[in-house]
Amino acid sequence: MKTARIVVDNEVLEVSVDDAGTLRTAAGTVIDESVVTWLCPVENPGTIFALGLNYADHASELAFEPPKEPLVFIKGNNTLTGHMQPAYRPDDIDFMHYECELVAVIGKTARNVSRDDATDYIAGYTLCNDFAIRDYLENYYRPNLRVKSRDSLCPIGPWLVSTDEIGDVSNLQITTRVNGELTQQGTTADMIFNVPFLVEYLSGIMTLQPGDMIATGTPKGLKDMQPGDQVVCSIEGVGSLKTPILSEQQFYGERY
Amino acid sequence: MQQIINPQGALVCVALNDKSQLAALSDRFHQAPYLKPATQPVLYFKPRNTRSNNGSVMPYPSHLAEDQALYVGASLVAVIAEPCCRVSEEQALSYCAGVTLMHDFSLREESYYRPDIKGKCLDHSAAVAERITPLDNLGALDDLVVVTQLNEQTEYRFPSVQMQRSISELISSISHIMTLQSGDLIALGFAGERIQLCPEDQVISYIETGEASTVVELKNSVSKKVASSALTGQGAEQ
Repeated sequence: MKTARIVVDNEVLEVSVDDAGTLRTAAGTVIDESVVTWLCPVENPGTIFALGLNYADHASELAFEPPKEPLVFIKGNNTLTGHMQPAYRPDDIDFMHYECELVAVIGKTARNVSRDDATDYIAGYTLCNDFAIRDYLENYYRPNLRVKSRDSLCPIGPWLVSTDEIGDVSNLQITTRVNGELTQQGTTADMIFNVPFLVEYLSGIMTLQPGDMIATGTPKGLKDMQPGDQVVCSIEGVGSLKTPILSEQQFYGERY
Repeated sequence: MQQIINPQGALVCVALNDKSQLAALSDRFHQAPYLKPATQPVLYFKPRNTRSNNGSVMPYPSHLAEDQALYVGASLVAVIAEPCCRVSEEQALSYCAGVTLMHDFSLREESYYRPDIKGKCLDHSAAVAERITPLDNLGALDDLVVVTQLNEQTEYRFPSVQMQRSISELISSISHIMTLQSGDLIALGFAGERIQLCPEDQVISYIETGEASTVVELKNSVSKKVASSALTGQGAEQ
């Protein structure tokens, strides 16, 4: 089952999404996609864990050795941005890039869960674009909040796919297109630390709660983003997440 | 005033904001992997599983490496009053409902290079006092001292003038990274030397103002040492 959260006429609705992409309310009413505002598909988003360097080809692209232990960082909830909603490129930078990532959403409280049992604790999967501003990297708690936790730097969705519908996530195609051009291609088979491992690892440190998310890292294929670009991240069996890029001034308007 | 703190909201902590700590680490921060001192505030999140409150008991970690231990630092906390987006230093204090205190329980800070998930994200490790003191009741913000006692002995006094970056500067710069919401918290800085803890220790912090009155008290204790099996399943959720 696929579920999305949308706003129609100032009302937040949870809808199901069928294979043709048709949105239906619980009462069966079909919603015209052209009038909806997409929200993060997780109703009460919790902690957003994200993985750095979790694909060997991406690690070498950034001139790093693949890590021996997961490199985990946290993104703030201010970053969450729905499908079709804009992200912004700060002024005065040289390199902002997308990162198309499979996201596991925790479905029940997890503490010291083994990798063999991990799937039981996952409500479903979605995908995110874990944007980064490379100019702002500093070697302190890297990747630092200024790089990864700016407003709008985590487009997510369009929907949540239940674990039973998606089945095996260990070999899903990952693609990103910028303005229609294919710029990133990989597969979740190349993840260094897979979802069951990460659930075991994180739940061994702390209690995971429903609504917590694990963004599992991105394969090779970085490209700079400019205002006016449209980036579409796609994961096989999950969906496609589209994000228009705005300038800082366009994004913040009178707050600029 | 108390209800404004949002336990599901952001808790952003400022590391390396003690001038004497920065001076002591200066040589190290010019070498790999740091290469040069940070130009921006060094920040970390305490996620929602860490949140606890005045009077809470911090579980002593059950499977510490032999050379590891539990530590605590105390910090002034700015409580955000209303949505706060890209505000100037001059405007910053008007977005602050007041201050409170937090105890940040963690493992020893060994490296600042990568996010310290293992050290900083322990369950219940961010105890935040419920009581907020409005800024108007504090006197000069430069005259505050956070006093921390371990088992009734004063272990450290961290004056706010020891902070490299001020409360206004931090609210402003963080609000240019992320839009802060009402009830979000910024832990403004910790004395560089954190206090090592043993099971069943008691930690009390309070704020001393320039008029030598004390405001906000935060009292926590550390649990007995527990076997790791006691921390599995439902037991860990209490």
